[in-house]
Amino acid sequence: MAKYESAWARSIPMKEQLQIMKRLLGYTRPYKKQFIGAIVAAGFLAGVNVLLPQVLQKYMDDYLSHMNATTAIIFAFGVIYAVGTVIKAVFQFFQTFLFSMGSERGLEDVRRQLFKKLHALGMRYFDQTPAGSIVSRVTNDTMTLTDFWNVILSVIVGLFSVISSFVTMYVLNARIAMTVLAFLPVLLIVIWYYSHYSSKVYRHMREKLSELNTKLNESIEGIGIIQQFRQEKRIASEFEATNDEYLDSRKAMIRTNSLLLSPIINLLYSLGLIAVLWAFGLISLHSYVEAGVVYAFTTYTANFFNPMTNMMDSLSFFQDGVVAGSRIFRILDNTEYAPAQNPGASATITTGKIEFKHVSFAYDGVHEILHDISFVANPGETVALVGHTGSGKSSIINVMMRFYEFGTGQILIDDVDIHDYPMEELRTKLGLVLQDSFMFYGDIASNIRLFNDKITDAQVEAAAQFVQADRFIDKLPNQYHARVIEGGSQFSSGERQLLSFARTVVTNPKILVLDEATANIDTETESVIQEGLRRIRQGRTTIAIAHRLSTIKDANLILVLDAGRIIERGTHDELLAKQGRYYDMYRLQNGDVE
Amino acid sequence: MGIFKKLGWYFQQEKKRYGFGIFCLLLVALVNLIPPKVIGTLVDAMDKRDLTSDRLLLWLALLLFAGVGQYVFRFGWRNAIWGGAAKLEKTLRTRLFWHFMKMDATFYQKHRTGDLMAHATNDLNAVQNVAGAGILTLFDSVITGGTTILAMVFFVDWRLTILAILPMPLLAVMARKLGMKLHAAFAHSQAAFSRLNDKTQESVSGIKVIKTFGQEQEDTADFNKIVDKTITINKKVNFLDALFDPTTSLIMGITYVITIVYGGHLVLSSQISIGQLVSFVSYVSSLVWPMFAIGRLFNILERGNASYDRVNLLLQEKSAILEAPDAITTPAHGDIRFKVNKFSYPNDDHATLINVHFTLHEGDTLGIVGRVGAGKSTIFKLLLREFDQYDGVIEFGGHDIRQYALDALLDSIGYVPQDNFLFSTTVADNIRFSAFEKDQGEVEEAARESAVHNDILDFAEGYGTLVGERGVSLSGGQKQRLSIARAVITTPELLILDDSLSAVDAKTENEILGNLKGERANKTTIIAAQRLSSVMHANEIIVLEDGHVIERGTHAELLATHGWYAEMWQKQELEQKIEGETLG
Repeated sequence: MAKYESAWARSIPMKEQLQIMKRLLGYTRPYKKQFIGAIVAAGFLAGVNVLLPQVLQKYMDDYLSHMNATTAIIFAFGVIYAVGTVIKAVFQFFQTFLFSMGSERGLEDVRRQLFKKLHALGMRYFDQTPAGSIVSRVTNDTMTLTDFWNVILSVIVGLFSVISSFVTMYVLNARIAMTVLAFLPVLLIVIWYYSHYSSKVYRHMREKLSELNTKLNESIEGIGIIQQFRQEKRIASEFEATNDEYLDSRKAMIRTNSLLLSPIINLLYSLGLIAVLWAFGLISLHSYVEAGVVYAFTTYTANFFNPMTNMMDSLSFFQDGVVAGSRIFRILDNTEYAPAQNPGASATITTGKIEFKHVSFAYDGVHEILHDISFVANPGETVALVGHTGSGKSSIINVMMRFYEFGTGQILIDDVDIHDYPMEELRTKLGLVLQDSFMFYGDIASNIRLFNDKITDAQVEAAAQFVQADRFIDKLPNQYHARVIEGGSQFSSGERQLLSFARTVVTNPKILVLDEATANIDTETESVIQEGLRRIRQGRTTIAIAHRLSTIKDANLILVLDAGRIIERGTHDELLAKQGRYYDMYRLQNGDVE
Repeated sequence: MGIFKKLGWYFQQEKKRYGFGIFCLLLVALVNLIPPKVIGTLVDAMDKRDLTSDRLLLWLALLLFAGVGQYVFRFGWRNAIWGGAAKLEKTLRTRLFWHFMKMDATFYQKHRTGDLMAHATNDLNAVQNVAGAGILTLFDSVITGGTTILAMVFFVDWRLTILAILPMPLLAVMARKLGMKLHAAFAHSQAAFSRLNDKTQESVSGIKVIKTFGQEQEDTADFNKIVDKTITINKKVNFLDALFDPTTSLIMGITYVITIVYGGHLVLSSQISIGQLVSFVSYVSSLVWPMFAIGRLFNILERGNASYDRVNLLLQEKSAILEAPDAITTPAHGDIRFKVNKFSYPNDDHATLINVHFTLHEGDTLGIVGRVGAGKSTIFKLLLREFDQYDGVIEFGGHDIRQYALDALLDSIGYVPQDNFLFSTTVADNIRFSAFEKDQGEVEEAARESAVHNDILDFAEGYGTLVGERGVSLSGGQKQRLSIARAVITTPELLILDDSLSAVDAKTENEILGNLKGERANKTTIIAAQRLSSVMHANEIIVLEDGHVIERGTHAELLATHGWYAEMWQKQELEQKIEGETLG
């Protein structure tokens, strides 16, 4: 099978990594209280970790080794140690909790920003980007940021621990402390080598895993084909090969971690310990060494080395964070904004006259989809658009609804340029009934009013009654509060269509834009829908895309479109008399109906 | 602990690996006893001022041995045990995959792709955790915990040991309890995450509706509300998670205080030396992990057990499509006699096919037409043995198709399904999907026969172009023609086109049908179609409605009956005329 180039295979240049890191760190700023709190707690924790062994050291050197401790002193040290432990526990708690809350809030902020940004982008972006990948940017990639911020915490904690242990050792015995410090370069080399080497191994492993899961997913989805062509063995052996490759990559990861992660830090710690004991031993050959100091030194040496494992372990997430960050920023930096209105646009729509003047449009700015479209819909009139799929009907609606910016020409509403209306005015006065009646998770009422809280329950019900959706709503358990599951799949397409009508009616638009459904609807619902449409159109200027020509016989103007041009125009009777394209289409459909 | 027994077969199979791993663990534990002892001894010697440089070097050499030994043995067990876990996951994944390959249509109706993926990823991960972290924690706590306690008793003092380890079981209890709570909270957090996911998915899918009604701000506000809830839920997870370390510290604190008080008393009453006390403190710190691990162990085992049961349940499902014990293994060819009196899909009362009978002589072509849902594809599903439970019999070359080995039957059939599923590999490999040994020439021939060769040459890398998300995006017609090429490359005895020409234009359709006629002399073909021009040259055409045959005959005969077929024919003629104008 072919080789894939996945996100894991790409390595990002160092400079870009730093930029992304800087930007990601910016998101922690609003929560600096939490982050600084956590870091302060980490600092105090390092202090307590230094002091507790000191307590034991004092206890041993000043009292135990001189055999002069009273029961009171013994208990006093017990209490001091207990209090110290409680303080340590408190700092431990705050370090972890504050940091995780800071990063949680930080990442949720990124999510909010992403979501807000998505709504600012134009339809073009959504047409070009698969929904799945957008969703994964908002949810999964942001999740990865937590790990990324944790890298920073573990580095800080590690540094605190190393520095505080070293300083205390230095105070106790400068020369021996320097001996321990001599291990630092070795440690740094190990860390550098590990992060360099392991990130390669790790990326390879992730790549293999994603390949494995892709294959698995594809094999399940294509199982019908595999079985019909009796290719189970071949596909399974191909899968087996990938499975083996993944196992090998995991083994390589395990080997790397076994060689270079905690075991080697432990080995270095042992060597450090030997150096410390050796130094103390040499001193004790000619002068007295206190037991407590030796004890304290061994503990500090452990504190010096131990945090390294954790730090190195979390370094592999650094790369993940950078990859996720770069994908997130690609959305945040996207400039394919939704079409903008003129600054200071403040016109209002009163009568609802629509005029297209020589409008042309291309989705990509190059290949024109609409050429020189001109027509007028006077207030209260209906203009119908007919033509084949791809003839440009939907594009006319798309530019009129301002989903896309058109090229040359002008669209006028009430003789005022469409750019001079604020977007909100257009959204409230232009009611679009979409072909696919998308249903949201919630209940019937929330699907009719959408998020507009100003619409009362009475208005919702009135709208439903108006389009006769109440007939089926009343039969539902809980009526208007009946649950609507994702996609509204428990309702028939006809029922969804009626709900979609009600959605439009409740906002009482001046201008109606209809994209008639092509879906198969049973005859009974069909007549309810036609009646609903007739009612909604009353008193409103209507632009309608029609598939069933019988529904637009009474339109004031019918435009027949082909390849983005208007090829015929007139009323139903005029067009029939012409015996052209419309005539053929009408005959075709009539044959079907009668 | 039951899960260890359930996975016994694997540990048996890998006993050398696990034996070695556990042996290494034991060595690590033993070697681990050395440093505290050495530290204690040296402290005592320094305290009493009787340290000599020879003895110092000796002790330090022992320490060096311990350090290097630890490194080597740690490397040993990590490789053995983590490697074992990875291998178990791989083994189970292979098993699941093979199972998936063998299961029937009913299985795939019951389990959605997402579920099956979850079993093969999350559940396997939980199971491999048993063979990795589970084994490690079990043996590590027993071995390290045991040896350390023994060392404390023998090298220091048994009374001090007992007193000092009294609080330790608390650690295990805490790890277990907190672990369970955290797990529950984490499940909530996961649920919150999927709500967020669903919300985003819905908003992206419904973006047009949202824009239409100008609800961008409101939708964002709703999203923010869900985010706020997520934060509240995650706060609990973070809170519980942040409790682990402090609780451990507190419990260990009790042990240290006991050591200070009672250990101090023992030193003062000269029952132990100060060096022994230092050793003791060192030993105490190496007990933290084993105790903590015991608590964690229960959580690992519990989750692994549940996941293993789920995976096994899946593996136990059987395919309803069985091969007869004395199945015919010679490839099927000859006349096809289809005589199904009644067929309903499993768990469906409605009969999908009723009295559908036809005979198709070798080399003939049958056309099947009718509305969507009339039962056309069902006929093919029965022919392809996706379902065996029907009233009636289907014969191929004089034998019931249920008597053939699946290889013998299906190798003789080339099927072009309605949904043109292609694999994300090269164009060439998609065409030679059923016959991987075919060379480039044969692949191109099949592509020419399906009128897709020229399209392929236009792709950036020709036949080497990748199909799918990472490669070229194909039009519906191109997908259909690639699917046809995939089916005709083996020149099957029976070719089935299940509405496979709907997205190609009339001219190309004609070309393909002409090619098939030429290349497939004496081979049988069944064509189901919406467009009647696809079937007009068939030897027999049957018209289906609601699972019944309502009309049958040749094209000419059917036109003469003035029924559904004749009406559709006129309508499509007219459509053709309009389309012709559009093209012209």
